[in-house]
Amino acid sequence: MDALEGVFAVAWPKGGGKLTPYLLLVPAISVVGLLVIGLVYIGDSSLRTLDRTTFLFSENYSLENYRRALSEGFTYTIIWRSLFGAFVVTIITLILAFPYAYMMVRTRSALVRKALLIALFLPFFIGQVVRAYGWLIILGNQGIINDALGLIGIEPLRLLFNYPAVIFGLVQYMLPFAVLMLAPALTAIPEEMEAAAGSLGADWFQTLLHVVLPMAKPGLIGSGIVVLTLTLTDFAMPAILGGGTQDFIANAIYDQFFRTSDQGFGSALTIILVATGSLVVGIALATFGAGTLALGKSENEVR
Amino acid sequence: MGRTQTVLFRVMVTFAVVMLSAPTLVVLGASVTSGNIIQFPPDGFSLRWYNAIVGEQTLREAFIRSVQVAIICVLVSLPAGTLAGIALARYRIRGEKLIQVYLLLPFTIPLIGSGIGLMLAFGQAGVLGSLWPIGIATATINLPFMIWAVSSSAASLDPDLELAAMSCGAGPVQTFFSVTLPAVTPGVITGSLLMFILSLNEFLVSLLLVDARIVTLPVQIYNSIRSIITPDLAAVSVVFIAVALSAIIVLDRLVGLEVFLKSK
Repeated sequence: MDALEGVFAVAWPKGGGKLTPYLLLVPAISVVGLLVIGLVYIGDSSLRTLDRTTFLFSENYSLENYRRALSEGFTYTIIWRSLFGAFVVTIITLILAFPYAYMMVRTRSALVRKALLIALFLPFFIGQVVRAYGWLIILGNQGIINDALGLIGIEPLRLLFNYPAVIFGLVQYMLPFAVLMLAPALTAIPEEMEAAAGSLGADWFQTLLHVVLPMAKPGLIGSGIVVLTLTLTDFAMPAILGGGTQDFIANAIYDQFFRTSDQGFGSALTIILVATGSLVVGIALATFGAGTLALGKSENEVR
Repeated sequence: MGRTQTVLFRVMVTFAVVMLSAPTLVVLGASVTSGNIIQFPPDGFSLRWYNAIVGEQTLREAFIRSVQVAIICVLVSLPAGTLAGIALARYRIRGEKLIQVYLLLPFTIPLIGSGIGLMLAFGQAGVLGSLWPIGIATATINLPFMIWAVSSSAASLDPDLELAAMSCGAGPVQTFFSVTLPAVTPGVITGSLLMFILSLNEFLVSLLLVDARIVTLPVQIYNSIRSIITPDLAAVSVVFIAVALSAIIVLDRLVGLEVFLKSK
């Protein structure tokens, strides 16, 4: 230890006071730097067009890919489908997440709390593909629901490969994220507040509307933004539960890279997605603030 | 809570619990069928599909590759995230807001964008086709989880303890290893566990970075469910369920799941 301290003292004469935090941040900043490098590559290739006769990319830059992307109706169909889906999923998810988080935080029974936490973490830790696989078994044409309906003589229903199936799968996927972001915000609300509102004559709905929801706002914003962006850019649920008929932006990008092999056009779509996503988050942040999204300490904790 | 609210909330929460658990339960049920196809009502009980997957080399290899990727992910994210978490929670930093926004980029850049970008960058560097770039990629896209876990642990450490160690004659290195690091250990473990699980399950970025020779297990399952749904895939999926369940138990024993309910 003394030797280490010695090395440290030589390498860092003044105890390093001022520089320490910045040096501690270097590894994380470099790791995230990979993403920045990646974005630069995407930006670069989005400006190169594919020559259909030679299958080479142009040497010089042009905005042709963007012009093409923005002039084709298919781009808007897919952006609209993704955006609309993201809004619907966010609203349904928050409506389901709120009572879940509330009950988990407020229940007197440690057992109920533990059970709710496990029900939340299990799907969160299992991953999207396995969960989508479960839905395929449940909702498929020869799936459990249709088999059960068949037993009572009802014709099979087409429950998969449509928009509601994708929305449903996404809500299930997002629920754990939303609840986990919401719960700390609800914990921060003192229970006495609700009791006080009640004793002043508010019924439960008024208390919810005027006391709990406003105080839960940071959590609702944080989880809303997370759900919105994750849904907007999701790939697996539209791919598996939509069966190729309900593509979101991410699926269209994937196809450009791996089916059409038009890296330039795919890159342009990616940039458009990043821009759309940033715009949506930017609007949300500007309107509501960062909520519980801020990393590290809160403002007044700084020493 | 009023009666109406209690009833309403109970109904909604029950619905949510059923929705959350249904795929898991169904996969578990399907994995122990004795029939050749998955159907309802199920055929008899058997463990034949578990026997079958042990013999399937592609699945076994895909699983081993996924574990390797997850280990690489933890090896990269643990040091980077721990140091950054400590820095953000314990020090006054110039331009902190900006650094926070930057470190949240993995969450704000859409996953498909991150994946494509890393694919192009790793492609240029000529390293695609090995497993370690996938490990680094999953570390990159999930890094904020690690930083968040450590910084929330570090924020609860009383700074006076570090000063006390210093004034008792400990140098900065000893203080770091004997006071700061032990205090953030629960956060480091929580974060590493999260990183491991998320990397093991990572599908999209894996899909973009693998080639046919090095598919990971989620990609293998994805490729298979696009053709025919057979019970052997259910048995493989149970591997994920088992891993998830063990992670939850470890997490609960170490820090208690209730830690996620605490307000900052």
